[in-house]
Order: sequence, then structure tokens, then C-alpha cells
Amino acid sequence: MRVLIQLRPSPDVVAAVADPGATATTADVADGLPGVALDPSFTPVAVPRPMPVTGGDPLSLNQALTFSLAAEDATVMVRGEISDDELSTRLTLLPALHRDVVGVFADPVIEPNPTCGGDGPVGDWHDVERLLDVAGLGAEGMDGSGVALAVLDTGINTAHVTHRLGRDLTLDAARSWNPDGVHGTPGGFPVDHGSMCAFDALIAAPRATLLDLPVLLSRRPGGSALDGMLSDAVAAFAHLRTVLEDQPAESRALVITNSWGSFSPRWDFPVGHPGNYSDNPAHPFNLIVSSLEQAGADVLFAAGNCGRECRDSRCAYPDRPITGANSHPGVLSIGGVDTAGERVGYSSQGPGRLTSRKPDICSYTHFSGSGAFGDREPDSGTSAACPVAAGVVAAVRTVWPASRLAPAQLRTLLRRTADDRSDVGFDFDYGYGVIDASGVISSLRRRAARVA
Amino acid sequence: MVLVTVRLAPRATLEQAMRRLKLSEKDVDTGYGLVLIDPGEDLYGLRVSEAAARRIDPSAGGGPYADPPIEPYGPPD
Repeated sequence: MRVLIQLRPSPDVVAAVADPGATATTADVADGLPGVALDPSFTPVAVPRPMPVTGGDPLSLNQALTFSLAAEDATVMVRGEISDDELSTRLTLLPALHRDVVGVFADPVIEPNPTCGGDGPVGDWHDVERLLDVAGLGAEGMDGSGVALAVLDTGINTAHVTHRLGRDLTLDAARSWNPDGVHGTPGGFPVDHGSMCAFDALIAAPRATLLDLPVLLSRRPGGSALDGMLSDAVAAFAHLRTVLEDQPAESRALVITNSWGSFSPRWDFPVGHPGNYSDNPAHPFNLIVSSLEQAGADVLFAAGNCGRECRDSRCAYPDRPITGANSHPGVLSIGGVDTAGERVGYSSQGPGRLTSRKPDICSYTHFSGSGAFGDREPDSGTSAACPVAAGVVAAVRTVWPASRLAPAQLRTLLRRTADDRSDVGFDFDYGYGVIDASGVISSLRRRAARVA
Repeated sequence: MVLVTVRLAPRATLEQAMRRLKLSEKDVDTGYGLVLIDPGEDLYGLRVSEAAARRIDPSAGGGPYADPPIEPYGPPD
């Protein structure tokens, strides 16, 4: 969290800060505040002390006041960042640890116009190709060849995706799967959300083999045209475990992209109930996610579109909207940035419910791409960010199957190489940062050299 | 409907699960069937009515677990 820290240093330091002719630095004012990454580029600011005009209540601002910049009255403001972990504890303890600290205040990022739902596209999918260094991935042989990339969504329309990409794609109908009651041929579903996800996954992994699992088309009781039931995802994951186990152990490579979730606690058991999903690692779906990850699958989930700046109207969790498997410790939870690298206002912030440190990383969204929702409509939501990241994972798996780089190791690598957008390594807006394929390539080169 | 779990032998069938849980076909989503959740634990899942879930002996099966609707995360409105 970015913070402003109000300090009361010695009067000579306050005088130096208040003097426009002097140049006091943050280090002069507050060198070494424990647990705070101070911003040395910020010039300390003198804050005048409000004082009642005629002996009034010294604790009230609702009266006639005068403001004193005298060295013995004024305070000084510096800027820094405090880790989001145990934030309230850190904020409470800081003044106790450092006697100069008068107060700690939020320093929210001032973004007059973060990208929100309904805004036009920011860049196009060729920008995403460039940002993901797809050429560099390809030069390393990382193009998704031989890697199964499962898209759990509304089904894929291969004709549309092929047309928009301008190149052929591979879809394995035999290893695809329909929920009970969903009729349709793999790759032959109407153009919708699933086609967007397939398109976006193929940006970084153009030669991956798509598996089509239209779980969101379920007509099971309680479902509707574009939502399924969690039990359909349970069954889909059970199918994918057979896909994984049919692969030779030494070359297993299965990436599962999930751009969906549960928007509301309305259909869930309350938190604390043993049947609850959102906060319960023992729910059957959370168990099967663990089981697949341990068997060697890479599982990615969208963080969701419940960001504070412009949350989707369907978001009904009052807080901590990254729930259930979207916050699972064994998955990568993906937030969204636009092609300018700025977090989109709807990208859900952490902490997550099963694991606090969510989202893990951010990836690109809100760009002109698949045209699944119309020629001028962007591929948007963390729905697009998730398969974009899944494509990078699939590209890596071309050369680095799970036997050489376990899913947990790959998640760590992606977090470690991400472009950190804070000064403290992790924050609840961007996670560990924005996915950096070039950094991944460099890290894997070093790893390969060590292994050799 | 809700999800319940049951531990059975490897390659178990829905009929075996129904017998273990003392359920009939009208209690169970037979189209959904029996799903292997964790092969290491021989743990299976099935969909049953809420009333049926309440009748299950806790020593025979686990749950009930929520089966909420899931929706695509995009495009945001």
C-alpha cells in the first residue's frame, strides 16, 4: 500500500523542509523507517499545524483556525510503501516503533480514467504479441507444439478463431469433453466468450492443441444459457485428469485456463459451514484442483472483474471478491492490465479467500483481438487476461514439461520474473507484477545451463 | 441440488455409490453420474437433492457441498 507518513523530526529539520531555499531530502527527514520502502524521489513537504484562533478546542477542525509553519509547530510528510501483508498490524506498530511518526495515511493512486468495462480497446493483439515477446518465445522453440491447452468456457468456434488469427489452429476433439446435456461438436460452438479465450490463449502459444470443454453451457437445474454449475467444472477436471494421465509421465504438458467464477455468495453455504465453497479448501472442486495440480497440470484462473474502481454489477461479495478456486494456492490467479501496462479498473484486488496473496500476477486485457463480441469490442475482463497468460505457460511447456519444471516451480518463476509494479514485491492490485515473457526466457536459459 | 462425496473402491460405479449412501435414482442426478475427485483418496462426488443429502449418514458420505452457478468473467459491464 502506498502511504503518506507524517513525521515530527527536530525543529531544524522541519525548518529546512519548510524553507523553499533549502533542499531537504527524504533521507534527511526519515532515514530508515522500519518496514517502509521510502520514496527517495519525493521531496518532503512541510505540513502546517492547525491552531484555534482564540484558545478553542485544540482537537477540533470545525472552528476558526490559523495554520503555523513554525519549526516547533509544523510536521513533515514523506512518501513510501508498506507491504500489503498484515497491513493493519504494520500501520498500528509503526508509530510505536518510531517516535517521530505522527500518522500514516493512504496515498491512493490518482487515476482519473482507469480502463473500465464499456471503454473502447486499448491497443490490439499484435501489441500483446510484442509485449509478450512472442518472437522471442518462438526463437526458443516455445510455441505450444504438443502442449494440450484446455479452455473451460462456453465452447470454441474454430472457424471464427482461425479467421481472426489469420492462421490455422489445432483442436483435439477426441480429448475435448461436453458436460452431460450439452450437445455440440468441439470447435463448433457459437462465437462467444469461449472463442475469445481460445483466441487469446493462442497469441503466445500459436501451435498449442486446444481442448474444448464448454462447461458454461450446462443446462443443469439452476443453470442458464451462459452459466454452468460448479459440479460441471468438477466433472471437467476429472476428465482432464484422464487426459493428463494418458500422457507419458516424462512429457506431461496440460494447461487449463478458467475465465469464470462465482459472482455471489447467494448460492453458497455461509463461510464457516463445512459445505461452503468460497472459503473452504476442502470443497470437492478445490480438492480436485489440488489433485490435478499435483499430477502436473498448470491451472490458471481469472481473478475476476470486481475491482473497486469499476466493478461488474454482478459482483455481490461485499469484500475479498477473489473466491474459491480463483484464490487457490495451487493455481495462478490472473489480474488484468491494459496494453499500456496499467491495471484495468475492474480487475479484482486481493486478498484472496483461500490464499491471501492473490492475484498472483497480471496479464494483458482490453485489447482489440478476437472480435467475439463485435468488431469494435475489445477482448476484455480478466477473462481475456487469463488465457493470454495461459498461452505463455503453454509456450514454456513446449520445452519444459512438468517433469522438468513442476507447476509450483513454474508459478514461482512467473511471479519472480514479473514486472513489479510496486516497491515491495507484492501488492493486492498487481500481485507480483505484470507477466514478463522475456524475463521468463532469460530465467529458463539460466536454469537450463545449470541443469546441463 | 448439492454435491456429496463418498469413499469407494477404485473404478467404482454410481450404483455402488447409491447403495453406500442409501439413495435411489430419484435422489440423484444420474446424468451427472459419479466423478472421481481424488484418486489418491478414492474419493468420488455426485449430485443429489438437498433432501437426500440431509438423509445421508455422515459416516457413509461427506457434504453437502455447495454447487453454485458459475459465470464467465467478461466482458465486464
